[in-house]
Amino acid sequence: MTRYLLSKLGQAVVTIVLVVLVVFTLLRFMPTAGYFSKEQYKSMNDAEKTAYLRNLGVLDPMPVQLKNFVVGLFHGDLGRSITLYPNMEISNVMAEKIPYSLLLNFISWFTAAIIGMPLGIAMAKNKSGIVDGLGTFYVVVIRAVPSIIIHFFIQVFLSKWFDLPMLFYMDQPISWLLPILSMSIGSIAGYATWLRRYVVDEENKDYIKFARVKGLPGNFIMWRHVFRNAIVPIAINIPSDFLLMLSGSLVIESMYAIPGTGGLLIKSITAMDNPMVQVLVLLYGALSVFGVFLGDIVVSLVDPRIKLVASND
Amino acid sequence: METMKTPEICDLPQGLFTRAEFHEELSEETGFSNYSYWRSTFRTFFKSNVVKVVVILMLLLVAYTIIYPMVTDRDPYTVALSAREWNLPPSQEHPFGTDGVGRDIWARVWFGTRTSLLLSLAVAVFQVGIGVIVGAIWGFYRKLDTLMFAIYNTLTNVPSTIYLVLIAYIMKPSILTIIIALVSTGWISEARWFRSRILALREADYNVASVCLKTPPKRIISRNVVPYLVSLIIMDAALTIPSSIGSEVFLSFIGVGLPQDLCTLGNLVNQGRSAFLVYPYQMICPTLILCFITISFYIIGNKFADASDPRNHV
Amino acid sequence: MKEKIFEAKDVVVKFNLRGRTLTAIRGASIDLYQGETLAIVGESGSGKSVFTKSFIGMLDKNGWVESGSMCMDGVDFSRYKTEKEWLQVRGKKIAMVFQDPMTSLNPVKTVGEQIREVISYQFGTEKAEAKKQAIELLRQVGINDPEQRYKQYPHEFSGGMRQRVVIATAIACRPQILICDEPTTALDVTVQAQILQLIKKLQKELDMSVIYITHDLGVVANVADRVAVMYAGQIVEYGLAHEIFKDARHPYTKALLLSQPQLGVRGHDLHSIKGSPPNLYKEIKGDAFAPRNPDAMKIDYEYEPPFFKASETHYAKTWLLCDKAEEYCSELAQASAKRAEIAEAPPKDFSNAKPLVSVRNLTVNFKLGRKEFSAVRDVSFDIYEGETFSLVGESGSGKTTTGKAIMKICHTSGGEIYYDGVKINRKMKGHELTDFRKNVQMIFQDPMSSLNERAKVDYIISEGLYNFHAYKNEKERKEKVAAAMHSVGLLEEYTTRFPHEFSGGQRQRIGIARALAVEPRFIIADEPISALDVSIRAQVINLLNRLKNEKGFTYMFIAHDLSVVRFISDRIAVMYKGRVVELAETGELFRNPLHPYTNALLQAAPVPDPDIERDKEVLVYDPSVHHYESEKPYWSEVRPGHFVWANDPELAEYRTRLK
Repeated sequence: MTRYLLSKLGQAVVTIVLVVLVVFTLLRFMPTAGYFSKEQYKSMNDAEKTAYLRNLGVLDPMPVQLKNFVVGLFHGDLGRSITLYPNMEISNVMAEKIPYSLLLNFISWFTAAIIGMPLGIAMAKNKSGIVDGLGTFYVVVIRAVPSIIIHFFIQVFLSKWFDLPMLFYMDQPISWLLPILSMSIGSIAGYATWLRRYVVDEENKDYIKFARVKGLPGNFIMWRHVFRNAIVPIAINIPSDFLLMLSGSLVIESMYAIPGTGGLLIKSITAMDNPMVQVLVLLYGALSVFGVFLGDIVVSLVDPRIKLVASND
Repeated sequence: METMKTPEICDLPQGLFTRAEFHEELSEETGFSNYSYWRSTFRTFFKSNVVKVVVILMLLLVAYTIIYPMVTDRDPYTVALSAREWNLPPSQEHPFGTDGVGRDIWARVWFGTRTSLLLSLAVAVFQVGIGVIVGAIWGFYRKLDTLMFAIYNTLTNVPSTIYLVLIAYIMKPSILTIIIALVSTGWISEARWFRSRILALREADYNVASVCLKTPPKRIISRNVVPYLVSLIIMDAALTIPSSIGSEVFLSFIGVGLPQDLCTLGNLVNQGRSAFLVYPYQMICPTLILCFITISFYIIGNKFADASDPRNHV
Repeated sequence: MKEKIFEAKDVVVKFNLRGRTLTAIRGASIDLYQGETLAIVGESGSGKSVFTKSFIGMLDKNGWVESGSMCMDGVDFSRYKTEKEWLQVRGKKIAMVFQDPMTSLNPVKTVGEQIREVISYQFGTEKAEAKKQAIELLRQVGINDPEQRYKQYPHEFSGGMRQRVVIATAIACRPQILICDEPTTALDVTVQAQILQLIKKLQKELDMSVIYITHDLGVVANVADRVAVMYAGQIVEYGLAHEIFKDARHPYTKALLLSQPQLGVRGHDLHSIKGSPPNLYKEIKGDAFAPRNPDAMKIDYEYEPPFFKASETHYAKTWLLCDKAEEYCSELAQASAKRAEIAEAPPKDFSNAKPLVSVRNLTVNFKLGRKEFSAVRDVSFDIYEGETFSLVGESGSGKTTTGKAIMKICHTSGGEIYYDGVKINRKMKGHELTDFRKNVQMIFQDPMSSLNERAKVDYIISEGLYNFHAYKNEKERKEKVAAAMHSVGLLEEYTTRFPHEFSGGQRQRIGIARALAVEPRFIIADEPISALDVSIRAQVINLLNRLKNEKGFTYMFIAHDLSVVRFISDRIAVMYKGRVVELAETGELFRNPLHPYTNALLQAAPVPDPDIERDKEVLVYDPSVHHYESEKPYWSEVRPGHFVWANDPELAEYRTRLK
């Protein structure tokens, strides 16, 4: 067990290092204009610009930059935004925004789980019936149509039909409805398909048949056996789901003007704010890797077999 | 247990209680003959009416996107100078109306469909192609495991949108950029998937038998492995198309997609979006075409996956 | 006469499969008596499993009971429609044990919990009390230290132990009837013997009735009080065990008994059943077995026979028992009397033969995670030109690994393998390897996975010919393929078909033809019949034997069951945990088994004779009987040609025993 966790931890560390290297290298190809505010870029001449960049440390050799960045990280210094929030500490910017993203994402994750899983089970029980047909239709539409189009129509039409606010206001919980719907609609389809397939497969398994032969009723088997097993692969994603809530949802937050972290990456890209892009990408990357690691731990808790197989595959 | 009462037994002629002729061939039951994997796959595939309709409509649509730009004299980029030509609702003249600067949306949609289909086709070809080749090498050389898993973890542990946005941001907006961005984030999952397929195939007894017969690797690949992968490749490519069209729309939305003035479905949808509240048709028309394409390919891919499974062949 | 507690009458079960209707059970009836074991024997597709599943409403969703009745305590289950109704039956009245213990338990729940939940649910027993009962059950099925084991998960148990847990779960609600669906097929022979003993013990203790489903007549002889023989969805013969084994009346039962490899006479063909079971999609006219029965009467093709009474307890569904067939019966009896007078061929003498294959101190190590273990340890033997050498052992004994190492498709970690005087476990040059591959071929266990589904039979058989350029022109290649097909008894025109179209036995023959086509000298057959149906096994064994005589092959047989190889082998080596523990000429090994493991294996293999099986003791091999810490064991020849792995004190004992 300990060895399993250690090997997973080692893997996570290696992955984070690799992610940092890859992202850092990629970021060196960013347009240098992203290090100037608009006024600076217009007013400075070439020599001044070079001097300014050198001062920022952007012209140093890559290993040095990497070292400086990592050292900064360990001091809690994420650097400063340049164009988007001129001269603000990135950590402060983040701290202000995280609660919004966390709140909304948590609610929608929860919504998706409590709607999606029962939906999947209902579909499996009603295989090739009406519920299954409608559910499959829903899944196909959600999966095939680009999500942005769906989000957009939800925002435009539902707000009109049900007279809901089109933008998000923290103090009006009714305005949370549409963003939460948008955020959960995809995961509902995900949970539903997964659970449907799982339950259908599982019903042909010997141990489910054996449980039926024991004389246990269908619902008992569904919850104590099928669902208990279906949870195992879902569990692996729960930690990453939670951690990625910090990064918010890219599109929806900007559509509803939610002051969360989600729109941040896009905004910094459109505003060409290089330090901001760098920190955000690395942060989100590290969070995801850490989430995968936590997922491995959670799985080892719910699946007793894991202690045996400590290999990679 | 009771014996059956059959009074007729007495009436049975004695002659029947003598040796019958024995035909050994009759004792062997063979399965249905003339089975061919591909024929059965296509028969199963086209059995569904949904598939028939979708495939026919899709073929018509593709044919139209190829022919239309060649025969039309309407230029999707021509701006009308007169304001009377702006924001026209659908009519005989402009089946999908015109946009804010008087460009004909019908023409723009079909030029856009052409671009988007070509783009997603290119992504599908490269992504699946690289995936298969790398997956095959990875599956046959166990030593690559450490390296490949490191790459796999690096690329998949981080949500692909982050890489996608980053690459699109760094490089100049162009069709090539989008292809590179999509392929570079998608290939590794394909490779991993094909690796596991190939590992399973490699361990199968019939491949061991070929090794025992000293069949050269070239022929093991062409006769024993590839035929099992073709249906998977087709299915995979079909499913890549809707997802790359979706990604293109996404990238246009956040402003790192293709240049704004280029006709693509993503650009059209996004441009229509800004005028949606006043002129809804400007968005709805391209969106309908786009959704039709993505849903069709999604259905085709999934149904083909079902049909290519021999267990579903009658 | 014991009390009848269950009666199924004229049960018809149908399935809907992709628009076609299959009649799986065509009017089958059985009676079950209190405290007795009824064995239902049949090959796959005979419907034995479906039949019993219909007693507890466990048919797959596309199947239904069309007509007939299933009565217990005056209640007819066949009318039950809903799951809720079936819940009254399942567990409490009738319980069931499945074939594969590895998949019968939920992998993420402790075994104790899986037993406890039944007790709690069925009787509303309190948790602590139910736990106590569950532990008691575990003890009852022979699990040591049940308090500790209660908390463990299924993957921490071996196959045999898991099956014990499954049985404990099944009997948790004190069912009156226990249905065992091939409960030992997935287990090793020695474990099988223990499980059979356990089932018999429990039956006595709990006064249960047991329905035991199996394809293995040896197992039937061991457990059954009564036997029902099933063929093509019908019970064709029903009677007390000794009546079925000693006085079979139905041609199918007779043929089945005669085709048992255990009963084979060396040097002669095994009695084999021709062809394959009928297709149940079609309507069957007359006696379903007639097309495969060379002695069928004309009436068998015309009318379906009713049940005729052979004795008060013995019934058979065959026209042979009709008064009008008396004359024909005596004709048959004379013919079979002649057949019985064949003598066993004497064992061949290999003392002066030169070895074709020599294995010296072969060791194969595998890495499992970070741990390394030896699949094969220090194994040595010779295989002489023209002999059939068998390697027998249970799963994990390293027998297949040894075969693969000789086949050069598996690495070796130590020792040498020589083929025809040439060392082969090294990097061979191209032409050397070609030579080796041409001469040594393999036949695989599972005919379903050993043929390329996407290639036609023509390509499959020609594969070696292409590789070795063993033909001058296309015509010659075609001839060679046709010859190979012919020699395995398949029609030439099948070459344009795909493997998909053939049955398991036919596929196995195609696999044999593939190996034959390159005209090898040495063939390794890895359990070539264990995946086949009982009625097909004899066909394949005869084929292999005939080919050996015709073409002068040398065989190495890999098997898990001593009784099957007895009749075909010249010499047998027994493997245990990677080591060959005993090697001797077949007759000698069966007469004088020395190593305790060989004894256990011999004792465990079921023989299709109830007189022998009934009161058989189960020998359990316990490696701790050896005292190898003080005296090291080694490989030595106790008698010319008889080798054993033992230390000095043991050898001394063996020698005295042999005198």
